[in-house]
Amino acid sequence: MRRLSIALGAIGLVIAGCGQPAPVGGTSPAPSASVAATPTRGGTAIIAIWQEPSTLAPHYANQTVTDIVNYGVIEGLAETTDAGEYVPKLVKSIPTVANGGVTVTADKMDVKWELLPGLKWSDGKPVTSADIKFSWETWMKDPKVNSRTGYDQIASIDLPNETTALVHYKSIYAPYPLNFGGLMPKALLENEADISKTDYVRRPLGTGPFKVAEFKAGDSITLEKNTNYRFGPAKPYLDRVIFKSVPSVEVAMAQLKAGEVSAVWNLTAPQAVDLEKVTGVVLQTVPGPSVERIEMNTAQNKENTDPNSTHPVLGDIEMRKALLLATPKKQIIDKLFFGKAKVGTSPVSQGWAAYKEPQASYDAKKASDTLDAAGWVKGPDGIRSKNGVRASLSYTTTTGDSNRERVQQVLVDEWKAVGVEVKIQNQPSSVLLSGSCTAKDPRKLGTFDLVQYASSPGIDPHTTVFTRYHSKNIPTAANCVGQNYTRVKNADMDKAIEDAGSTLDVAQRKASYAKALKILNDQNVIIWLYDRADIDARQNTLQGWEPNAWQRFTWNIESWFIKK
Amino acid sequence: MGRYVIRRLLQALPLLLAISAVSFTILKVTPGGPLAAYEGNPNFTDDDRVRLEHAFGLDQPIPIQYIAWLGQFLTGDWGYSFSAHQPVLVLISERLPNTIYLMGTVFVTVLLLAIPIGVLAAVKQYSWFDHVVTGTTFAFLSTPTFWLGLLLIIVFGLQLRLFPLGGIQTAGKPFDVWDRLHHLVLPVATIALVQLGSHVRYLRASMLETIGQDYMRTARAKGLAERVVVLRHGLKNAAIPLVTVVALDVPELFVGALVTEQIFGWPGMGRLFWDAATRSDYPVIMGILTVSSTLIVLANLFADVVYGYLDPRIRYS
Repeated sequence: MRRLSIALGAIGLVIAGCGQPAPVGGTSPAPSASVAATPTRGGTAIIAIWQEPSTLAPHYANQTVTDIVNYGVIEGLAETTDAGEYVPKLVKSIPTVANGGVTVTADKMDVKWELLPGLKWSDGKPVTSADIKFSWETWMKDPKVNSRTGYDQIASIDLPNETTALVHYKSIYAPYPLNFGGLMPKALLENEADISKTDYVRRPLGTGPFKVAEFKAGDSITLEKNTNYRFGPAKPYLDRVIFKSVPSVEVAMAQLKAGEVSAVWNLTAPQAVDLEKVTGVVLQTVPGPSVERIEMNTAQNKENTDPNSTHPVLGDIEMRKALLLATPKKQIIDKLFFGKAKVGTSPVSQGWAAYKEPQASYDAKKASDTLDAAGWVKGPDGIRSKNGVRASLSYTTTTGDSNRERVQQVLVDEWKAVGVEVKIQNQPSSVLLSGSCTAKDPRKLGTFDLVQYASSPGIDPHTTVFTRYHSKNIPTAANCVGQNYTRVKNADMDKAIEDAGSTLDVAQRKASYAKALKILNDQNVIIWLYDRADIDARQNTLQGWEPNAWQRFTWNIESWFIKK
Repeated sequence: MGRYVIRRLLQALPLLLAISAVSFTILKVTPGGPLAAYEGNPNFTDDDRVRLEHAFGLDQPIPIQYIAWLGQFLTGDWGYSFSAHQPVLVLISERLPNTIYLMGTVFVTVLLLAIPIGVLAAVKQYSWFDHVVTGTTFAFLSTPTFWLGLLLIIVFGLQLRLFPLGGIQTAGKPFDVWDRLHHLVLPVATIALVQLGSHVRYLRASMLETIGQDYMRTARAKGLAERVVVLRHGLKNAAIPLVTVVALDVPELFVGALVTEQIFGWPGMGRLFWDAATRSDYPVIMGILTVSSTLIVLANLFADVVYGYLDPRIRYS
């Protein structure tokens, strides 16, 4: 039921998205230099990475850095533009209801993919529709794959000819264009009992502009031009790309300044400010969908908390309001992030359903007044209490993240000033973000008061909104699924979320999400701190970059070139 | 002697078993797990989580997981890394040469420097040389490697630009001996300077003790040259305690230098262990822990045996 509804909605989106430009999208001025210069051929780009990809196999990968490398090697049937539209990559067009590529019958649908003619794997073997089917089979068969989302909605795949795959879905699954995001070669892998034991995990065979020439664990990954690339010999411009493993971002920056590497990815705002002064270095800031937030536990802070219990302090909506009012988002962004982030407004910050109504802005006086009015009385030490309950909270985020720690310092002081005591109780990300009850994720167990982390929605926001804010998705001892960590329950919000998922009409879906997110914000259970931006830096000589909010900075690496 | 060695080896078995059981349990009861890495994927669902927990065997009770791991380990299958999807043995085998290369160089450098400096400092006790050596070795001995490494990088890498900032070789360059050596200097200096301190002090102390012995006087009375007296009669005896210290360094050839490899981006065992630990990649952590604890036990035994061989007064039974 739930999947059906998500799906219906997104089909509407695709159909709507095809005829007209997408309503909302990540916007960022493209670096002007890259537009002006004429591409030159040849050369090597060295990209510094300080997290090593443990595997490059698309169906096992779970690190961002893997994507960074794989954009050069592995391709899917379709991809997402900066504006959030689906565009064809290995196929002639995106199948839609309008162009006859998608047929909906009752609660099922068929999608017809037509591969471009003459496609080759980088080893020269032809790409056929059998590879599409094989990719689905692998994703469903291999127990170690990262996520089966979408693939598990496919009932069967027919192959009428070498270039056509007819995908029969068991349900109506809207984000189908991104289902085959990493095509896998049947001829190479079909006789492997366990792909994780093959060379493929480090030298995956793809159709991208480059192929993996060398994988030196802990040292470097070298990509070389794929001579069988479909845009060859025109593209790629570069002969080689080397991903060089460096010990830390500081070293990467030093090497960029010294000209030893051509590009560095994923910088923080203070680091970007440092690099801005360096001549010959260009920065690219792309707003990403990821939103940094502080979630408040409305249920009791204890292991396997009862979702119907009430948090002695945060159970009071006035207290939650006051904390929001006493959160100087703008100052945090300006002072700690040098203005290189946007004030957060909702979990859906990008795309067609983006909800941009701001939360109450900073007003410490109003925060104090709110608490006074709600009966929270200041004690001799300046900390408030009500009915013998002291306004004392714990505040958890990931350890060792200097940005988050700085935000914590600011907020601890701000909140103390309005009479709320906050104690920092950080945890390693392998615990806090484990998303697992057995690994003792405090969000899952309910053992937190305030928790700060970041999360991004998919292009279709339904999964995010449904799993994070619908009352069905509160994790409990009996059933540790769902990500409604604040334990917020609101019948109207539930209904709005369900409505959004049960219509084809984009405008109606957008309105329903807006309604749900407004109710969510009225509950004051989450402080949306800021929308995170991806900041990358490169030598000015490395050109051809283009921003894309939905992909990583190497997404168009075939168009990169070195200006002589 | 043979019987002694066999008995010691047999005693080591339950000890190693206990070490592995304790470390396995500690790893498992520590909160956190390998699935945190998937959090960034908006498509990663709770169904996926349950499936992966099952695929990795994380849903089993800890004793069962341990017995399964031990059974595999004893039959030579060290398991698969959760994140790299590579056999643990393969991961270790590609990092081990780099670590042996780094730590072997350190090992040789330290010995080559420690012996002459230690001997000279003892022979010329209370001379200005001795004071300088004592002072600097103390200073380096009490310097944390992470600080020293960063200092060397800042001064010799960033400011003077004499040495590369990290890595084992220049990216994209074909194998070049000079390039390799160039990259080796700073990390070796970081570890060697710290280790040198302890070795020099050991040797100096033991040499001083030897110098006062009767047989030294006898050797001089026989009319032997001072050089021969010091080296053949003095050093030979003074070096015996050093054997223990050096033998206990041997496991480091395998384990690597956790901090230094991290600072210099060295693709060795220390960094493998660090990465595995931050990712809760249990099979890799257990593989490295078991081998290193085995090596430490063996190195201890080796030191004892060699000691007995070098010093006939010591006999084991």
